[in-house]
Amino acid sequence: MFRSVPYIGMTLMVLFLQIFILDELSIALWLRPMIFPIVVMLLPMEWRTIWVMLATLAVGLVMDLAQGGAGLYTATLLPLSVLRSWVLYITTRRGVEHGDQTSLFSRMSMRNIMTYVGAMLVLHHAMFFVLERLSFAMPLQLVLTIVCSSALSLIIAWPIVRLYSSKIA
Amino acid sequence: MLFLIIEGVALWSYASSSPYTEAKILSRTTAVGGAISGTITDVEHFFSLAENNRQLAARVAELSERVAQYDDLDVTLGGEEVSDAVVDSLATRHEGHFRYREARVVSMTTNRMRNFIILDRGAEEGIAPNMGVVTPNNELVGYVVSCSSHYCVVQPMLNVEFSTGGRLVDNDHVCMIIWSGDSKYRVEAQDISVYAEPREGMVVEVRSERLPDGVTIGTIEECELNSTKSAYSAVIAIAADMSRLDNVLIVENTHYGELEELKQELNL
Repeated sequence: MFRSVPYIGMTLMVLFLQIFILDELSIALWLRPMIFPIVVMLLPMEWRTIWVMLATLAVGLVMDLAQGGAGLYTATLLPLSVLRSWVLYITTRRGVEHGDQTSLFSRMSMRNIMTYVGAMLVLHHAMFFVLERLSFAMPLQLVLTIVCSSALSLIIAWPIVRLYSSKIA
Repeated sequence: MLFLIIEGVALWSYASSSPYTEAKILSRTTAVGGAISGTITDVEHFFSLAENNRQLAARVAELSERVAQYDDLDVTLGGEEVSDAVVDSLATRHEGHFRYREARVVSMTTNRMRNFIILDRGAEEGIAPNMGVVTPNNELVGYVVSCSSHYCVVQPMLNVEFSTGGRLVDNDHVCMIIWSGDSKYRVEAQDISVYAEPREGMVVEVRSERLPDGVTIGTIEECELNSTKSAYSAVIAIAADMSRLDNVLIVENTHYGELEELKQELNL
């Protein structure tokens, strides 16, 4: 059964961290950590896609309004809600089985969760930076930005993911 | 569906948020649309190639006929220089005696001693035995030997019973062209005069009442004097790719019947 209190707490913490701390940091042009996608990633896999999509829309709108993204955050976050079950299956060979009564994440190993979160972060960062630039003029710089930002995002997000996983276990 | 709607709205909102994103996204979507449209056009073009080939072959036939008319006219005028207007005026009144019709290869063989080609034109379209068959590049293929209502059979150069007259382009010496069955890329030229001095690279054309001048047979690859040293024989690399024939032209000499009658009268 989905435990909403830890999830809401995690969501508020992540959005606060993203908007008021990470987005205010100017480390380098090619290093922009974004941890808010984990809010979508950690939604229960058992949920129907439409609910996940609406929750994603809400997170995307908050980010767009807070950062003046004009739809950029929503447009790059929304595909995650559709692709996440595929990404989970591809990276961990795990999927939601019929009749599951407990959260899938509570039954997954930390290594599997890390692989899944890492893959989703790379996917999101790739979509975000490509759409933000709308150009492939400097492909190496684009790849560097995606890889480095995804890695830093994973490092920052990982304690939050672990904490959340321990709360729902 | 809901995903597409929300994603579309988000992208539209982002695209219209600044002139830069608007211009960039517009150019990208135009490029993608253009690429898709181009691919579709390419596929359509591929499937219309057969029809295009037929139309081009028909055009080649028409132009070849007109060139033949002009060539005849040139002979009539004795090669004297005349204005283009006069030539055009005479050409409209001048009747050339070679007619070209395009045809398509229905089936063919190249691996036998007596090879044949079947074309999709027959007696109903005016095709008759002894008409010449050439490629659109004016290279000899063979001669029509038999016709049904809608098809005709061509005896190509690659047939041991084939023979035709040839002419060395450089010096107008004539020869006899036959196929010995050794290679589907080569025929033999026999009875070349010792004064012709044939050599490698010389072009050999058809010399026959069934075809106009200028139809290429091939180029000499090697030649040698016969044992009595009275004539040369030569190996000729065939100009036409006989294993890849598709569209061809059937050439009719409208005076051919008259010539044959004359020959029979004189028992030639």
